[in-house]
Amino acid sequence: MTDSESMIYLDYAASTPVEQGVLEAMTAAMTIDGNYANPSSTHAAGLYSNVLIADAAAKLAGLLNTQPERLIWTSGATESDNLAILGAASYRKDRGRHLISMRTEHKAVTDPFSELAKNGYDVTWLDPEPDGLLDIARLEDAMRDDTQLVSVMHVNNETGVIQDIAAIGAACRDRGALFHVDAAQSCGKLPVDLDDLPVDLMSITAHKFYGPKGIGALYIADRKGVHVEPLLFGGGQQRRLRPGTLPTQQIVGFGETAAIAAARMHEDFAHITQMRDRLWNGIRDVPGVRVNGTLDKGFPGILNVSVEDVEGESLLLAMEPFCVATGSACNSKSQEPSYVLRALGLGDDLAQSAIRFSFGRPTTEAEIDFAIERYRQGVARLREMAPGRAA
Amino acid sequence: MSTDPYSPEVRALFADPAHAGAIDDACCVELDDQGLRIALYATVEDGTITALRFLAWGCPHLIAAAEAFCRDYEGRDPGQLLEFSSSGLMQSLSVPVEKTGRILVLEDAVRSLGNVVREALKAQED
Repeated sequence: MTDSESMIYLDYAASTPVEQGVLEAMTAAMTIDGNYANPSSTHAAGLYSNVLIADAAAKLAGLLNTQPERLIWTSGATESDNLAILGAASYRKDRGRHLISMRTEHKAVTDPFSELAKNGYDVTWLDPEPDGLLDIARLEDAMRDDTQLVSVMHVNNETGVIQDIAAIGAACRDRGALFHVDAAQSCGKLPVDLDDLPVDLMSITAHKFYGPKGIGALYIADRKGVHVEPLLFGGGQQRRLRPGTLPTQQIVGFGETAAIAAARMHEDFAHITQMRDRLWNGIRDVPGVRVNGTLDKGFPGILNVSVEDVEGESLLLAMEPFCVATGSACNSKSQEPSYVLRALGLGDDLAQSAIRFSFGRPTTEAEIDFAIERYRQGVARLREMAPGRAA
Repeated sequence: MSTDPYSPEVRALFADPAHAGAIDDACCVELDDQGLRIALYATVEDGTITALRFLAWGCPHLIAAAEAFCRDYEGRDPGQLLEFSSSGLMQSLSVPVEKTGRILVLEDAVRSLGNVVREALKAQED
């Protein structure tokens, strides 16, 4: 299926379209008629670029209720995660080398931890409960005197499970460990109050909430002991924590994205909740279907379902023209069942049958109704073809 | 270069698997390997395969390959089942190399079916 006009997109957890207002703001910051000057330049044009960047930082800081100077621009959540984890571990290596994360984290978190484990750090991987949530008592049991960093994502990218980052952060503060949150799936979609939350480092990205790809940020709390060593060298930008010429148009786009999200968050949340509930109510009576994660404590923008006796890749093809995911879009080319779903206790067959539907601003009731029809038809057809189910 | 992971042949066979299903009282094999499940059914009359059917739990390439096999081998001598090679299907369906193992599961199933058919014919002769 390559004809984009006939596609129906229900993969908004993978990426979202750029809002028109964001595109216009970006264009104005990159053409000959706009402001394309290097924001590090000290002439008037460069200073004006800097004003645009400061304005964008203020908008993003407003969305997160923090101060603009707490934000470091990056290329996206993956870089932010790497900078937070590798940078904080390096900064605090003389205090201890024990780190904690969960088996359900995104690869952008698990891979940096795995790299640290190869280099003398001791990493504890916490299992989730069957619904995907972290049991705080399990975290507290895993904490040691030399624990330096805990990383738990806010909203899981595959299941939509929302972790209680306030409680996790409080447990980290009690033991003197830094707390990093990958908020790629929640930023701009759920209220995040960094002035109130006990979070030390937070990774965010623009393209998950209608902004451009290629721009993200890392929040670094203004608190004693919270710091990261840089991963890149070569300039003095951003207090040397992340050098390199700032991409004015990307940052301006991110700022505009944040401003729109702040204004629309409650409306967006109500809409995706309606879409998620409509879809689930339309397929919940399919025999053997189950939600991966939890509806009660899940982000309504994501509905991950498995069904017995159906193989996921075939179901995905049977679902065309829908663009949905069989797991995280980042690893869906893998032949392996999702490690996230297996961590929730699913066997290979159920994990392979998983489909992640994710909803966005443009999603319509008609699309959901068509998805229900396609899903039911696909499951029925593939079941008829499965050995052991023949009449 | 196409970005479509499925060739037009795979899409067509997956969309309309005319040979999907089971046959009662037919020669039958079931294989459960590499996370895939496949069952093949064959009826033979007068030294000719008169009907082939399949059931499969697997990816679109496996389903398409099973359908193509059933379509291509009806009307043939059952002895050819023992000589079945998946390499032709790999090429004609443009199966990606990482899916080779899955199509080899079909090859194993077809050859097992050939053995079952041979034993059944031998029993009839006895």
